[in-house]
Amino acid sequence: MQMFRGLSYDERNAWLLVAPVFAVLMAVALYPIAYSFYTSLYDIVLTRPWRRPFVGTGNYERILADPQFWVAVQRTTVYTLVTVAATTILALGVALLLNEAFPGRRLLSALILLPWATPSIVNGLMWKWIYDPSYGLLNALLLKLGMIERYTVWLGDPSKTLFMIANAAVWKQMPLAAILMLVTMKAIPADLYRAARVDGANAFQRFAHVTLPALKPGFMLVLVYETMISIRHFDLFLIMTQGGPGDASYTLSWQIYVETFRSLKFGLGAALSYILAMATFLLSWMFIRMLGRGMEK
Amino acid sequence: MIAPRMRRRLGRGLLLGFFSVLLVAYVAGPVAWLVSSSLQTDAQITAIPPNWLPPEPTLANFEAIFGAKAEVVTYETRRQGDPATTRFLPSGAENLLPSLANSFSVGLWVAILNLVLSVTAAYAIAVIPFRGRRGALYAILVTRVIPDIALIVPLFLLVRALGLVNTQTALVTTYLAVTIPFTIFILISYFESIPADLYRAARVDGCSHVAALRHVYLPLALPAVIASLMFAFLTSWNEFIFALILTQNVAAQTLPIVISGFVMDFTTSFSFVNAAGVIAIVPPVVLAMLFERYIVSGLTAGAVKG
Repeated sequence: MQMFRGLSYDERNAWLLVAPVFAVLMAVALYPIAYSFYTSLYDIVLTRPWRRPFVGTGNYERILADPQFWVAVQRTTVYTLVTVAATTILALGVALLLNEAFPGRRLLSALILLPWATPSIVNGLMWKWIYDPSYGLLNALLLKLGMIERYTVWLGDPSKTLFMIANAAVWKQMPLAAILMLVTMKAIPADLYRAARVDGANAFQRFAHVTLPALKPGFMLVLVYETMISIRHFDLFLIMTQGGPGDASYTLSWQIYVETFRSLKFGLGAALSYILAMATFLLSWMFIRMLGRGMEK
Repeated sequence: MIAPRMRRRLGRGLLLGFFSVLLVAYVAGPVAWLVSSSLQTDAQITAIPPNWLPPEPTLANFEAIFGAKAEVVTYETRRQGDPATTRFLPSGAENLLPSLANSFSVGLWVAILNLVLSVTAAYAIAVIPFRGRRGALYAILVTRVIPDIALIVPLFLLVRALGLVNTQTALVTTYLAVTIPFTIFILISYFESIPADLYRAARVDGCSHVAALRHVYLPLALPAVIASLMFAFLTSWNEFIFALILTQNVAAQTLPIVISGFVMDFTTSFSFVNAAGVIAIVPPVVLAMLFERYIVSGLTAGAVKG
């Protein structure tokens, strides 16, 4: 009890209650984070275990000079932009629909949890099967609707791959985003709409001037959360394309996986992870700054 | 006078109906197709144009999974193709059921431990005024900024040093790193929405912190508590990359690992893979549907503040 001297009853209790979480996180989060930073400063290659020189920022410099890294940055940017934008827009639409009162609304809002609950591995294999160029649902459906003239290659076409994977990701992520939007929407005071109506605003004007501005916190949460998870997606890439065809879906997280677990370059892989983590952090912070201005709670 | 209003109401109804149908098709269509494929034989799913519905629904793929035994797969047996008709099974099929059991037990442990640990910390940070509470919260949340893939190598080395490779203990502990920060975040939002007067009343009555948590906060935060349990279980059920690196065989491998093995082995029939996918989808979907109300209110209460 020596260390607690000088603390009030409340403070002692608070730290005791928080301590177990810190102990667990220390072992399975903080320690690995620190260790992986340490690793990123060394040139560690498992195929050459006897020599692991300290290289300082050497790994980072090598990465920035590597054209493959910039390919990965480009792929990650496109994939993240498409996924986040599509998820947000779709979620907004779904939230607007579920915000209306109509019979079957409850059932519908339960049903949209289906993609959310689907494991990402199953999500990947399901869409891979839907995209199958010979036996898949997509070709059959589009042909039937007259939108394509002959069976098309989807995942195997480098110009389409990223979008196809993004579509699978959007399908899974849309529900949570929609729920977050819906909750914000429900919090908008009805008075605002009544006032707008009295002022003669039509449905579109009410949406543009009342709903959208009030949705800011929802947008912020969705954008930050979706960006954070999309930028580091990995499961779908492993299941659906393995970075291919060629390097069409060679994203940063795929590069981290390849460098770490296939080339066994632990130092380089750790440095890459840190770059990705910094990017995530900066982006989230930027979104919060952008949308959070004048929104102090 | 009534006609235009009627027409407008009809228009609104049609519009809502149209978008509802579209949404149902988008959300349920892919899964329906997965289920439909899993009820067909290999020959039926490779028909062109595809069978939208199984021509003769068969449970052969599921029977194959539940009846699978370890057997030596050679080039010859592998070439026989169709699991439903020739009893051919991909190597590793016998691991599906044990991995299903592993997924359940890992998920349950994660759900329980995650709740016990998070609820106490969230209570302390949300309710008790103490120096460093903001700092404690940020320290917990910031651990989620590093991509999981960056944590794997150090975690693997740690787990190996402790002799825990290929154990459920290793998986449960690592999953807690993923679930705890998010759970604490939702629980804190929920606790903060509970009036502080209740806390003061409880303390004046001589309640200890543990008693206040148990008798005041936990019952009031029930939706968030249930949501945390669900969230932790589903996260653990879905998790892939940690399990891929930290487990090696049926002693600890979870369902996604075994299934991904089938997907990447291109000789495996899709009818079989789809059936395995359906098995993996059922438990989380049933849970999500059963607890939909709690998930929505628990995950979002206070998360969005205007």
